[in-house]
Amino acid sequence: MALAAPPPARGHGLRRALAPYALISPTLLLLATFLLFPVGSVLYYALQHHVVNEPYDDAFVGLANFRQMFGDEQFWSSLAFSAKWVFAEVMLQLLLGLALALIVNETFVGRAVARALVFSPWAVSGVLTTSIWMLLYNPATGVFHYLAELGVGNAGTSVLGNPDTVFSAAVVAELWRGVPFFAILILADLQSVPKELYEAASMDGAGRVRTFLHVTLPHLRDAIVLATLLRSVWEFNNVDLLYTLTNGGPAGATTSLPLYVAQLARKSYDFGYGSALTTAAFVILLFCSVLYLRLSKFGREK
Amino acid sequence: MSRTLRTTAAALAALGLLTACGSSGSSSDSGGKTTITFWDNNAGPARTPLYQKLIADFEKANPTITVKYVGVTSAEVAEKYNTAIASNSTPDVGGVTTALLASLTAQKALDPLDERYAKSALNGKIAANFLEISKSASGGKGLFQLPSSGNQDVIWYRADKFKEAGLSAPKTWDELFAAAAKLTDKGKNQYGFTIRGGAGSGFQVLSEAYAYSGLTTMFDAAGKSTVDDPKNVALIEKIAAQYKATTPEADVSNAYPQMLAQFQANQVMMVHHNLGSTRDVKTALGDKVAGFLLPAGPDGTSVLANPVDGFSLFKNSKHKDAAWKFVEFLDSHEANSYWNQNVGQIPANTEAYADEWYTTSGITKQAGDSLNSPTTKLVQPPVYLPQYSKITKTDAEPNFQKVLLGKTSAADFAKSVADAFTKAQADYQAKNK
Repeated sequence: MALAAPPPARGHGLRRALAPYALISPTLLLLATFLLFPVGSVLYYALQHHVVNEPYDDAFVGLANFRQMFGDEQFWSSLAFSAKWVFAEVMLQLLLGLALALIVNETFVGRAVARALVFSPWAVSGVLTTSIWMLLYNPATGVFHYLAELGVGNAGTSVLGNPDTVFSAAVVAELWRGVPFFAILILADLQSVPKELYEAASMDGAGRVRTFLHVTLPHLRDAIVLATLLRSVWEFNNVDLLYTLTNGGPAGATTSLPLYVAQLARKSYDFGYGSALTTAAFVILLFCSVLYLRLSKFGREK
Repeated sequence: MSRTLRTTAAALAALGLLTACGSSGSSSDSGGKTTITFWDNNAGPARTPLYQKLIADFEKANPTITVKYVGVTSAEVAEKYNTAIASNSTPDVGGVTTALLASLTAQKALDPLDERYAKSALNGKIAANFLEISKSASGGKGLFQLPSSGNQDVIWYRADKFKEAGLSAPKTWDELFAAAAKLTDKGKNQYGFTIRGGAGSGFQVLSEAYAYSGLTTMFDAAGKSTVDDPKNVALIEKIAAQYKATTPEADVSNAYPQMLAQFQANQVMMVHHNLGSTRDVKTALGDKVAGFLLPAGPDGTSVLANPVDGFSLFKNSKHKDAAWKFVEFLDSHEANSYWNQNVGQIPANTEAYADEWYTTSGITKQAGDSLNSPTTKLVQPPVYLPQYSKITKTDAEPNFQKVLLGKTSAADFAKSVADAFTKAQADYQAKNK
């Protein structure tokens, strides 16, 4: 190979120019297939009347789907539920995740085991999480059955069937899976805090609380901002757990916006209106994310 | 090969991989043999082996035809058919219930069967009421599905517990509610009845309402839905009053699997489902379980027609004759009888009604006699409406939960369903003049 004659100069130049494009072409192709095309088709269908079993009515309808959205009570109630869900989940996950990370960051006997246990729920899939919690909540075989036998509460208590308790029950199930995510990210960042800062703080006579507030927390800021943002988007789009745990019920008490879209598509076959709602959700998420990043001054030097 | 060529080739190979995923031939010919693809619309460990046996029998009798079996679960079959229609990859023949028929015919995916059936040896042997349900389901535009199995709502009850309590199978709704109250012992976590509050609740509560009211049509002469008739509302109120009184609290979100689990775990004494669960309850409880048809109200009773299962030929098929041959085989006396005996449903082939398993089947025969009797008032649900699934599922299910939880009245619930049906019916008739 080393002895082969060098290729003609002209062809060489053209090839050099084309090579980078050839190299990135698989990536572009994949992006176009799996990102641009689906996003584009959602935007396209958002402007169409497209109900699978009413094909004779399919037509371009402009913004009619969006007008319908403003008068749709279920859209607003599902959006309100999504906001409540994201807020409750992210705040609680952050607080508990931070607490767990601080605990497993200390030195104690059995720390490695404790760390593994803290992180293990993260490795469980959403549907499996649901199955575990459904068994726990099952009125005939779950924890409330045993509590009732001990004289606490009533036999047959169904926390998922009661609109007053279903929200807390679903939040707890999702917390179990979500807390480790915060714990992992925060722990990773905790370990990069320079030891000198703590030494300096202790020289200055700062106690544990002040050290935490003035050294640890500022150092964790970017990690917390990023984790809360990612988690907010994921929790907003959470379908698997709610779909399998409550299916939006009872009486729509846990129907989030993505779940409402899923129901429109799966049961009503209304892909046009469903796409419009998805587009709205996309715009809302984009707006909130940009606003959050701006307000938190993410990535800027202190 | 130069580097550029190599990278280009790699890129093309990647493209090839992507496109390879998209192609799927529905059928093929090779060496004088025809292969047809058959979709089972309710695949599972109980039914798939039955089809495998029937397919083997068919291929033995028709050596030139090979049947490719594709099992699809009932939960996702609507989606799979819709996707297949959109991508032109429908099978040659598939199982289709009347619940799905209107959606498939609206998309012009099915081939009419009237002529084939008229010329077939099966002509006259398929139960007339089944054919009527099937034709009604596609909007009266012809026969697009050859029925194979009929179904009927049934209430399974614990015969042993009824006997212990000195009760017999209820004949009226009031007797049923009285029995439910007598068999409820909340301290022991035992309930007389269970309400379907989760998936599938819409059809279930409507079939209960019409069984009680005895109304014979879904729409009156003016095209107005009868769902909110005071007699229907009265029964929905009675059902809602059972919630937490004679039924578990979890009912509000329970669908069929959870209801059946409670029944099998001795927690509920009566469960309303249909013949589709015959095998499940008999396997779990044996002789301890028996069934009765939905009880009557003060003005007699009607039967809200259950979906009828059957087979349809798809328009895009290149082997319709071979596919029809397979359908004829499945609906023949022997195969149809074998199938229905094993799934506990009512055969569509009337020749099977003389078979011993059927005459001694108890509830299955009772349900079949009711479904086939000319005196039975059969109410056809408007499954031909494109919005049927939206009205009875997306909208009605959460609303019915509100009724159970006391957040909406039974009358308001019935009115919302009725108004939606009336409007959908008017739209439908305007389009199909």
